[in-house]
Amino acid sequence: MRGNGDAPVEPPANGALLELVALDRVASMDSATGIARVEAGCSVAALETAARRAGATLGPLLPSVRAGSVGAWLAGPTRGDRGIPGARRETAALSLAAVLADGHLAESRAAPRSATGPDLDHLALGGAGRLCVIATAWIRLFPAAPPAYAAWHMPDVATGVAAIAQLCRDRLAPARGMVRVREGGVLAAMSWEGPESARIFRDRATRRLGERLAIDAGPEVRAPASARGVEIDARWESLEQLARRADVAEIALYGMHAGGAFAVLSLASLGVEQCAEAARATGATVVAPRRLRAAAPSWAEMGAGAIWTRLVAALGAEEAA
Amino acid sequence: MSRDCWPRALLWTKAAVAPHPPDVVAWPASTAEVVQVVRYAAAQKVPIVPFGAGSGVCGGTVPIKGGIALDLKRLSGPPVIDLPARTVDVEVGTNGQRLEELLGAAGATVGHFPSSIYCSTVGGWLAARSAGQLSSRYGKIEDIVLGVEVVDGTGELLRTQDAPCVGPDLTQLLVGSEGTLGIITKARLRCWPRPSSHWMRGIRFATVQAGIAALRVLMRSGLRPAVARLYDPLDTLLAGRGGSGGRIGVPEPLRWIVDGAQTEALRLSLRAPALLNRLVEALPASSLLILGFEGEGPQGADDAREEGEAAVRLLATEGGEDLGATPGEKWLANRYRISYRQSPLFSAGAFVDTMDVATTWDRLDALYRAVLDAVAPHAFVMAHFSHAYLEGCSIYFTFVGLAGAPAGESDVEDLESAETRYDSCWNAALSAACDAGATLSHHHGIGLQKQVFLPREHGEGMRQLRALKQAFDPNGILNPGKLLL
Repeated sequence: MRGNGDAPVEPPANGALLELVALDRVASMDSATGIARVEAGCSVAALETAARRAGATLGPLLPSVRAGSVGAWLAGPTRGDRGIPGARRETAALSLAAVLADGHLAESRAAPRSATGPDLDHLALGGAGRLCVIATAWIRLFPAAPPAYAAWHMPDVATGVAAIAQLCRDRLAPARGMVRVREGGVLAAMSWEGPESARIFRDRATRRLGERLAIDAGPEVRAPASARGVEIDARWESLEQLARRADVAEIALYGMHAGGAFAVLSLASLGVEQCAEAARATGATVVAPRRLRAAAPSWAEMGAGAIWTRLVAALGAEEAA
Repeated sequence: MSRDCWPRALLWTKAAVAPHPPDVVAWPASTAEVVQVVRYAAAQKVPIVPFGAGSGVCGGTVPIKGGIALDLKRLSGPPVIDLPARTVDVEVGTNGQRLEELLGAAGATVGHFPSSIYCSTVGGWLAARSAGQLSSRYGKIEDIVLGVEVVDGTGELLRTQDAPCVGPDLTQLLVGSEGTLGIITKARLRCWPRPSSHWMRGIRFATVQAGIAALRVLMRSGLRPAVARLYDPLDTLLAGRGGSGGRIGVPEPLRWIVDGAQTEALRLSLRAPALLNRLVEALPASSLLILGFEGEGPQGADDAREEGEAAVRLLATEGGEDLGATPGEKWLANRYRISYRQSPLFSAGAFVDTMDVATTWDRLDALYRAVLDAVAPHAFVMAHFSHAYLEGCSIYFTFVGLAGAPAGESDVEDLESAETRYDSCWNAALSAACDAGATLSHHHGIGLQKQVFLPREHGEGMRQLRALKQAFDPNGILNPGKLLL
């Protein structure tokens, strides 16, 4: 599958490429409720532009997510997850309409939470199109408001990452974080979002970490992460281990929660492949670049390999080579 | 083991019938024993119905096809608490209140406080996608769970990971499966430092609509209340929560219901639910928001107050009148009691039931009105908006209706007409909720009660549900007849 913004994909040898680029409409935008109905081929950037115009935002997202399509975001390894206040994660997909292998369209109810059996959206989220194909989604939006920024000098990257991890474990999770080696030291810059809450949580973090630097930390947080970085999903233990490496150059953090974060990891003098290898060795999974993602779901490792096989058969789906 | 707390099943008990007893009861003490039971049942094609503490209100554990009732309460070894990592590993038979007591001794909390906490288990929470009263801060159980250990319908053991993993989220496909896909035996849950301070308030709004609008603004502000519950005018008045005035001006028939009046008076008032509901419409209508914030550590009181005061300022711009701390503190002190007040009503021949639906902010008021209108001819009805999120909210409707003869006078014939009246009320309520675009359940689950409406909820998604059943339970032995599986 390929939507707007997604990198070119080679069709499988015995299959076809499903181009979703024409499914690109933002069908509705309700910034008061904080939801948008969007077709899966729409680019995330176009959705964000439409949301901003209405006074809303998708919030901070990994660079590869922001560059791709909504379908790729939701079916990809982040499953559409975003950080929400309180150091928790949830998927941005309020509900989905997904095409099943038999051609039927399954659409879930757009409710903030429900208890009507298993969450069937999770057959599509993170499924890479293996079990069904996302056609349309209701996406959750945050209100757009100026973030509160802060930055601190840190003795090293590991200390910076550990400090952010502790903020998350204490419910003061920033919306974005950046720990970067600069000339003369290490800088940890963060932003908090929320019209009424950003300053409250930034100031609480300041009480924990000491007086913040008298600089505009906004550009430090927003500066694009290194182009040589690899995007990963990792627990804090993994990130702290990676941060202790002598060659770590920069760790940019998104979707933070008490257990971990999405990160863009840059290791000086190492290419993307070696970065990915180093991250995997700590238990992290690779989000981007796409070619370095794990090929198969982790269900077999969890003892559910036979269940996966039966599920694929029951849905009439066929594994792509 | 032949029923849970489904109000329809309480009518059975009143009529002294137990239509669906299990054939046998098994009490496994370990995951290995659960595996043994499931392998035996798979070989013999015998149904298994997992059972926790029986506090479900939808008939999810009623063994309608007989077989083995698998009581999991012996799976209750000591939880392993890792507060620095914010995790606790717990066996599913652990009672909710017991878990919180053990966590409290370690300075921790899971933050999951359903009103059934004294009579529910961790496994029941996970099976039904439970919600606690502080869900705005801690999330529902599906937000709190990090991984589960599960025995599938073939007797194979699987363990989902509390770590990044590739592919669809297996945990989220098992949580809420109501025992139809696997038997959950252990879980890893998120835990947090126990709050050192609560800051509570009552905020009054002129109308329920003003309250809904304000609740939306609050939830989208980034502030994260632990409690944000909006009571509709009747719920506000009857509970005496409305500050000045209290119950003054509440007509007699309404007081009979709420005060658990004498049987005859109560039955008389419930014979005309439409009239009762019209009386309500004439009441002075203000709506109360119970608001609470928490804080941890030495700064906890200051932190909770800081967020609370920011919320009060914000709500004032939406027309909210600060009633001070008393209504909130009263709610906190009494928050589990309502569930235990229903016995006198059942004894008098009434039924009390609750419906938990949810939708997005744009549809919330229409859902509220539609369900009130639909239920009005069948039962006395009130509501509160109980679990709020960034993009929507749940509504918790309470119905009180006349079901049949008083206790001691009910027989099988009376039961039949009582069930018909009960079902009419529910069909009206669920139809209205579905038509308004709501989800059928926010946290009670489906059970037997709501499953006929499940195709309206999931549409072609029923195909996905059946595929999951084939994958996890190819022999069809796990809680058969539930979720239409």
